[in-house]
Amino acid sequence: MSIFSIQLLTGLAYGMLYFMIAAGLMIILGVMNIVNLAHGTLFLISSYIAFTFISQNVGFWAALLLAMAGTAILGIIIERLLIKRVYGKELEQVLLTFGLTYIIADTAKWIWGTEMHTIAVPALLDSSITMGSMVFPIYRLFVVLVGCGLALLLWYFESRTRIGAIIRAGVDDRDMVSALGINVGLVFTGVFAFGAALAGLSGVLGGPLIGIYTGMDSEILVTSLIVVVIGGLGSWKGSFIGAILIGLIETFGKVWFPSLSMLIVFLLMVVVLIIRPQGLFGREVA
Amino acid sequence: MKKNLLIMFLLLIAAAALPFIVSEYGINLAAEICIMAIFAMSLGLIMGYAGMVSLGHAAFFGIGSYTVTILGSHLSNFYLLILGSIVLSGLVALITGAIFIRTSKFYFLMITLAFGQLLFALTWQLKDLTGGADGMKISSTMNLGFGDIVSPLGIYFVMAGAAILVYIFLRFFVHSPAGKIIKGVMENESRMKALGYDPRIYKLLAYSVSGALAGFSGSLYGYFNLFISPDLTNWMFSGQVMIMVIIGGVGTLIGPAIGAGLFIFLQNFISTYTERWPLIMGLLLVILVIVGKGGIIHWFDLLRSKIFYRRSQKRMEYAQNHAQKEEVTN
Amino acid sequence: MSLLKVGNISKSFKTLQVLQNVSVEVQPGERHVIIGPNGAGKTTLFNCITNVLSIDSGTVYLEGQEISHLPSRKLVHLGMSRTFQKNNLFGNLTVEENLHLALTSTKSYRYQIFNALLKHEDLKKDTDEVLEQWGISSRRNVKVNFLSYGEQRLLEVLLAMAAKPKLLLLDEPTSGMSPAETIQTAEMIKKLPRSVSILIIEHDMEVVFSIADKITVLHHGEVILSGTPEEVRNNEQVRQIYFGGGAKAHA
Repeated sequence: MSIFSIQLLTGLAYGMLYFMIAAGLMIILGVMNIVNLAHGTLFLISSYIAFTFISQNVGFWAALLLAMAGTAILGIIIERLLIKRVYGKELEQVLLTFGLTYIIADTAKWIWGTEMHTIAVPALLDSSITMGSMVFPIYRLFVVLVGCGLALLLWYFESRTRIGAIIRAGVDDRDMVSALGINVGLVFTGVFAFGAALAGLSGVLGGPLIGIYTGMDSEILVTSLIVVVIGGLGSWKGSFIGAILIGLIETFGKVWFPSLSMLIVFLLMVVVLIIRPQGLFGREVA
Repeated sequence: MKKNLLIMFLLLIAAAALPFIVSEYGINLAAEICIMAIFAMSLGLIMGYAGMVSLGHAAFFGIGSYTVTILGSHLSNFYLLILGSIVLSGLVALITGAIFIRTSKFYFLMITLAFGQLLFALTWQLKDLTGGADGMKISSTMNLGFGDIVSPLGIYFVMAGAAILVYIFLRFFVHSPAGKIIKGVMENESRMKALGYDPRIYKLLAYSVSGALAGFSGSLYGYFNLFISPDLTNWMFSGQVMIMVIIGGVGTLIGPAIGAGLFIFLQNFISTYTERWPLIMGLLLVILVIVGKGGIIHWFDLLRSKIFYRRSQKRMEYAQNHAQKEEVTN
Repeated sequence: MSLLKVGNISKSFKTLQVLQNVSVEVQPGERHVIIGPNGAGKTTLFNCITNVLSIDSGTVYLEGQEISHLPSRKLVHLGMSRTFQKNNLFGNLTVEENLHLALTSTKSYRYQIFNALLKHEDLKKDTDEVLEQWGISSRRNVKVNFLSYGEQRLLEVLLAMAAKPKLLLLDEPTSGMSPAETIQTAEMIKKLPRSVSILIIEHDMEVVFSIADKITVLHHGEVILSGTPEEVRNNEQVRQIYFGGGAKAHA
């Protein structure tokens, strides 16, 4: 029982981490119609930035903010300089963001090498709660809380604010929004920066959980793509639930079928696709 | 049509003459290019003729190479092994495709990517079968029925022959009724339904043929490289073959093959000078997207139309001048 | 026996009732026109008959066979083809290639993966026939995107005709046309052989009364009246809601 609940917490923590990164991917896909293949790489670069600052004795929290700001700025540069030129051109977008993964990941390899790094759990959260025979690491609880907080924030943002309304309208009818005198370009840059910052947030928070290593960016990208497919396009609820499902399945799968955890996650996606091709909570495509 | 035949003939002569011009290193490179050309043509079929953009095509390449390697330790007949990998990768494409084609373009891209990574993970995790991260050595040698083929020259000719065969097959395929209908589905799926077609059958046909051909190229790669590893199924490899297709020209048959040639050549050339090939490739891609238009094949077209345009303009100017002169004389 | 029998079909989108107990019958050889103001549910009716949209209740019979739940692609093979209100063509292909695609849908070799499509002589013959019959042979190698709007509307009908249907559903063939093109189109419809029955949605009253054997008036998703042109012209209720406040139909 005790191992079960600890696994449960671990699964939830991973799920929340996946939610944070998938949310960034999805907001960019939903609003701008771009599959950002470099999203996993932004996650990776953020981990490295935070790692570097922390090893220079900048505290964890300051490093978190700096890494998020760094990825957001990188996002702005990428959007303004490159992605702006390929709106509506599907193949070009794929090619461009694929090229970016190579550029960023190889540069990271150049700077930080191929050995594995870790980010230490911040001192404030480096303890655990004991309940009878069960020991819960506080850091994992913290990640779960941050994930829930993000979900609430996104929900509030989308349904209760003007910017949320603009973004929703932009998804449905882009011409309408620009006719209303709203600067769509600015909104898109903001959305891309926000999505990048989310990748940054999850990159740093994931550091103590999964470490930093070459190739991690692909794994993260694929997991978040599956979250989006399972949850459905343009649905926070779907991504939230999909991410938790995957976090749990992966964690328990690693215990029960160590060599097939990826297969189980994939099969879950296939089952969802067969029953509901548009995802659990996705909009019906007419 | 006659011009095409001429081009084919010239290519054939070039392919046959190549080994006598270049070094052994060059022959090996040419053999690798032929294999990648088949792989790129297979992806080019679904991208350019069915409008399906896959980022998981390396999965089929991997299935092909792992099939000849794993089965090759039990049986040695070259034809059987090749056929086995074609059938197996085609079947996997048929089954997974039946699920994947239910989704629209972005989903298709994401799902094929996920599928490729699944196979990547499986080749890592199923150590007993695949050798895991250490990869596998292929134990059987290529034998078409008249002795083992081990020399680079022999291997090159087999690969070149295979590439030509695939090209011819695809030419037949895209001009066949089913091929034309597949293109119609890409152009306007809803109208094809209204005309009485079932688009799913045709999309699935294209996807399965494409998967089988990718498996074919993978099995040839096994014989060529004699060593295979999980990296062959990685999505980055899928992305690379997509680059070959796009730089060569989407919507043509020969374009992806040319793209494969350029890509492999550049990769080998640049890698001899620096370890930073991935970085350089990324930069080249970004530059290509920002300045390039529609791939090499279309650049040729563009160039040609520019030349012709100038010529016709000159002719028009000449005609105008002439007319003016006549007016004056009258 | 009527060729098409639409019996009491209803369709709603969420809370909006678009069709309510609509019944329409088309007799063999008949030219049956559906009229009604914008938003009356005319195109929805077509989409329900061809099962592009699934109906909530009711039945659709073609030659006595129930087709209410058959996928739209199968209907072509049962003898029912349709056109679209907005041109729905293969814009990047030539006129000839468009016809090839339409004509191949009923050929037995449509699943062949060898034997170039153009090696099939019957297809070439059928294509030439259509091109000549409608006087567009000179346009055969023109990409559809470069055709004039009127030519595109014509091709829209020709694609539907390719399968030699018994019943042709035309969704506003004259929409967006100039007056001259409209007259041409009406002439073209009149030229279609009587072996083809036609159910047609049309706005232009001159066209309606020049071709109709029977008219069904749809209003707010309900059938107001189904009868001969004379009956429709003289019906007070139709004048009230359709022509607006007792004004005489201009026909």
